[in-house]
Formats: sequence, C-alpha cells, structure tokens
Amino acid sequence: MRYYFDIDSGRRATRDQIGSEFARPEDVRAAAIRVLPDIARDEWPDGDCRVMIVKVRDHKGSYVFQASLSLVSNWLDAVGEDDLL
Amino acid sequence: MGNPLTMKLGHGSKLTSDDRQRLDALIETSSRIEAYQDLIREHDPPGHVRLILEGFVCRYKILENGRRSIIAYLVPGDICDLHVAILRRMDHAMCTLTPCKVVFISPETIEDLTTNYPRIARALWWATLVDAATLREWLVNLGQRPSDQRLGHLFCELLMRLQTVELADENSYHLPLTQEALADTLGISTVHVNRVLQQLREDGLVVFRDHRLIIPNVKQLKEFAGFDGNYLHLDGG
Repeated sequence: MRYYFDIDSGRRATRDQIGSEFARPEDVRAAAIRVLPDIARDEWPDGDCRVMIVKVRDHKGSYVFQASLSLVSNWLDAVGEDDLL
Repeated sequence: MGNPLTMKLGHGSKLTSDDRQRLDALIETSSRIEAYQDLIREHDPPGHVRLILEGFVCRYKILENGRRSIIAYLVPGDICDLHVAILRRMDHAMCTLTPCKVVFISPETIEDLTTNYPRIARALWWATLVDAATLREWLVNLGQRPSDQRLGHLFCELLMRLQTVELADENSYHLPLTQEALADTLGISTVHVNRVLQQLREDGLVVFRDHRLIIPNVKQLKEFAGFDGNYLHLDGG
C-alpha cells in the first residue's frame, strides 16, 4: 500500500507527491519515526526551540498516523544569558 | 555506438589506434544481464574482471540488520577491480540496477593488456586511482554534508561521468535509479529521499521528466552541493 509523508520541520514544509510502498502498518510507523531524526540532523544545525511533525496519508487521502519531535533548549541561569553577549 | 571503455580511458592516457583496436576487440563478446541480478556476492572468489558496457551496476554490502549500503555506482565504461584476481574473496557484492551488458575479462587478458600495451596500462592505473578518489569524495559527502547537498552532489557526479561516455548531454541524462537505491546510497530513509527530491524540485535545482534528470542550471547545482569534479581527473594524469 502506498503512503504519503507530509513533513513540516519548522523551517520547511513539504507535501509528499511521490509516496512510498509499505506492506504493514508497523512499517509505516517505523518509517515516520525514523525520518524525524534524519531531518533534524539536516535542518536543525542551530540550537533553538523547534517542533517537527510528520503526518502520513494513505492512498485515499486520509491522515492515518502522526509523529513529532521537539527540540527544547534554554540556559539554566542568568550567568549564561550574560555569556551570550 | 562507440566503445565506452575507450571513451573513458582516453582521459587517462593518449591511446593510439592500435590501443583502440585492442580495446574494441575486448568488448566483442559481452553478456546481457537482467536488472537486479548479482554479478558477484560477498565471499565469492573474484575470478574475472567485469567491464560495464550498458546499464547501471552498484557495489553494495548488506548489514547485520538486513539494510543495504550502496558504496559505488558503475556506469558504462567502468571496469571494476582490475587486479581483483589477487584477492581470494570478495569483501562486498555487486548487482545490476538495470538491464546491463557486461564483459567478463580473464586475468590473463588483463595481464596481456598491462604487459603489452603501456598506454592502456597507464589508463587502467588512472581509472583505479579515480575509483579510489571517488570513494574518498563519497566518504566526505556522506560524513559531512546534509542530505540535500549529498543528493545534489551525486547528481553532479553522475552528470560528469555519463558525459564522459556520451550518455549525458550538457545538462541531462537518463537516471534509472529508484528511491530505494538513492536511500541506500545516501544512508537515509526512502521517505527522506522523497522529501529531499521534492525540495530540490521546488527550488528549481532539478527537474524530472520521463525518468530523465534535467539540471536547469548546472553551475547553480554544483555550487549548492559543493561539487568540484577535480577528483574525477578528466584532465588526465
């Protein structure tokens, strides 16, 4: 069965027009989760706060699965803030 | 159609008409092989040297978890592992990605070429060095570049290599690779390949039409991917 992965990395959103074949729902889940760290490595070089979401459509166009990955970062005290100067 | 081996080796040495005749004789007998057939498997004794006349071949390894890693492409004119007969067992496998025409060359024939045809011998050494340089470039590409540049780099490399054997025009070529093959080459998932292809298309860096890859602005894609074709040494040795 063909599934389509729409991904918003916080920097760029793409709507999958090609799709990929998967035999089992479990493989769809694994692929959706696996792609998140792949894209994070490519598109999150600067530490910040970001959320990336992948939503999977089936061949009928219904969303059937969703996964997200968050990056949360902050200094733990005021000294750190000064160091940023 | 010309002899792709001669077209390629012409970049590594000044071949005489004698040399060219010898190389033409070499490709008289070839075998047709279907797509997705192993030419040789890991741990096999190597036996013959393989020369690709038509189609795409890849070198690959299968990991413990079943995933495939593609570590090189061979296109027409490419000859693999000239002195592989020295080794007892293959440390990787090779398979066809499209229907192919392949010449199997005996170690004795290689011996004849390298002993009696000094310019061919030099060109074969050149080709061996270019193979090693290409592997170095792939190592840099996979280790340090983000996926969109990685894929752009591969597209630039294939353009130059296919131009060498007259299978690409100035900015396009037939690209028979599947998303799975690209994923196994770049070390990313097919879903990610999909996304990266889409990005490159949206940014106007590549266009796909009937399995043909068109690069509207070659200079722009090279700059984007950090591609410098110096490692292909097409200006000879």
